[in-house]
Amino acid sequence: MTPVFVRASALASALGADLDAAVERLSGAPFAPARNTAAGGAWPYFAIPFAGDDWMKRAEAIARAVAESLRREAALAPGEWAALPCIAGSSSTSVGAWDRGGWAALAPPLEFCRMLAKGFGVRGPAMMVNTACTSGLSALDIALSLVAAGRFREVLVLGVELANRLTVAGFAGLELLSASAARPCDRERDGLVLGEALGAVLVSAAPGPWRIAALASGMDAASLTGPAPGGEVIANTMRAALSSARWTSAAVDLIKLQAGGGRLGDLAEARAIRELFAAPPRALSLKGALGHTLGASGPAELALLLASLARGRVPATWGFATPDDELGLTPSGGDGKGVSRVLFNLSGFGGNVMSLALEKTE
Amino acid sequence: MYLLAPAVLRVAPEELPAQVRARFGSELRRSGAFAQLCMLGAQACLDTTAGDGPLGVLWSSRLGALRASRAALDESLQRGEPAMPFTFIGMQPHLTGALLAQRGHPVTRSAHLHLADEDWSLLLSVAQGWLAECERVLVGWVEESDSGGVAHKSDWCLLLKKPVAGAIRLEPAPHEDTAVAATAEDWIARIAAWRTSPRAPLFMRGGEDAWRFTPHGQ
Repeated sequence: MTPVFVRASALASALGADLDAAVERLSGAPFAPARNTAAGGAWPYFAIPFAGDDWMKRAEAIARAVAESLRREAALAPGEWAALPCIAGSSSTSVGAWDRGGWAALAPPLEFCRMLAKGFGVRGPAMMVNTACTSGLSALDIALSLVAAGRFREVLVLGVELANRLTVAGFAGLELLSASAARPCDRERDGLVLGEALGAVLVSAAPGPWRIAALASGMDAASLTGPAPGGEVIANTMRAALSSARWTSAAVDLIKLQAGGGRLGDLAEARAIRELFAAPPRALSLKGALGHTLGASGPAELALLLASLARGRVPATWGFATPDDELGLTPSGGDGKGVSRVLFNLSGFGGNVMSLALEKTE
Repeated sequence: MYLLAPAVLRVAPEELPAQVRARFGSELRRSGAFAQLCMLGAQACLDTTAGDGPLGVLWSSRLGALRASRAALDESLQRGEPAMPFTFIGMQPHLTGALLAQRGHPVTRSAHLHLADEDWSLLLSVAQGWLAECERVLVGWVEESDSGGVAHKSDWCLLLKKPVAGAIRLEPAPHEDTAVAATAEDWIARIAAWRTSPRAPLFMRGGEDAWRFTPHGQ
């Protein structure tokens, strides 16, 4: 199989519409998210600071901003850029357009993907992937197959999740949201905080600073809305990633957790980590800073993590203050200069569990 | 790469619940028409094949579970009823992998996606990549009818790493000018029709890719 590398990444999130600014902000003091009142209640919500009354025009504007940043970093020739295929992942696609535009504003998912591709100025094949919270990482999985098979040299992968009432109402109805803050791995954690993001990752057969050593996948069908409490499938998926990457568990320098602050989800992942690692490696969660951005979380968290590591930092886990003995995990940020092997976990509704192994090449 | 059991399913919308009950013994809880349709077609394909190795499930659609999305919006936001987890964040189109796993199939990779008609052949390239990790990849195309008198469609086939009796060999045929331009909607149906009397290789094109299909052993 052709090795695949991350060539460039970009992100619009609650931390800002620019990845450099987001990394700077993440190295400072945590901020409290805004409140979302669109679906009843006043739920904390990490919104992208991008104004716009028209949902679709706002989405286009966000796409253009992220595209400009990605294009600068990718430094592809104009013809190569224009020919890029675009594989996007989203759990909600453009359902937010309904909030003000009604039925007429709803576009089929592929049309929304094409709109995003147009915002990025790319004209290759477009695909919209839907696997709920892992959508963006599933898009990356599909891109890896296409690059590894030699079908494309570069693929643009997007993870997109933008504000909509239905998603907030759904999670609120399930009583999965925190009324105060996201506290991943914290003893006082009491639920998720949702967020918006558009993450973009350009993967390439040409060498880049990070090689994708493996992307393992599993299916946890014990429940359609959460992992099995023992975390067995999460453990097996991480094990498969290590095996495909030909790493021992001792080789992992850092784990980017799925942990979003839910009581059971964080516990299942912690159990999986304790099963696999005699001494858990350093770990972090980005959901205290970005919120749970659902289908966007793969590319969004990947972009933010790699940009932080490129600046020699492991981001702090915002919202984590007091360890939970039952979890046995203590996320920690700080100096990231020695980090060269990262496991990147993601899981979601519908049972998909994924673990990405990333290896620094420089 | 080898292909097995192309299965073409057409179901009148009013007959779907009865067919689901007949095949699975009961209604599929929490599944809307799209998810039921996916399951019925996928299971029809698996029913005719053997094997118990790691399974990938990759299926595409033009519109996906549009009706379920509309129903969720209607229930939750127009009528104020709580949105169920199976009707928001796109769960209906995505349920198939988990539902197959709950029925004992060893699913390890699963993705539902929307793509353009001519890009169906990219599914074969993706499946080829997945076969590095899976022994089998179930590939489907599913479309829920949105008008009376038009059948639901759920077409599936199984891609394998290793040949078995009755398999069809797949190879890229980039320079094959005579390849028939197929679409997401008809590529599996074309293979199923050709397979009944495969006197010559079948060449099909999707976008820039062409593939050659020949009975294994010829």
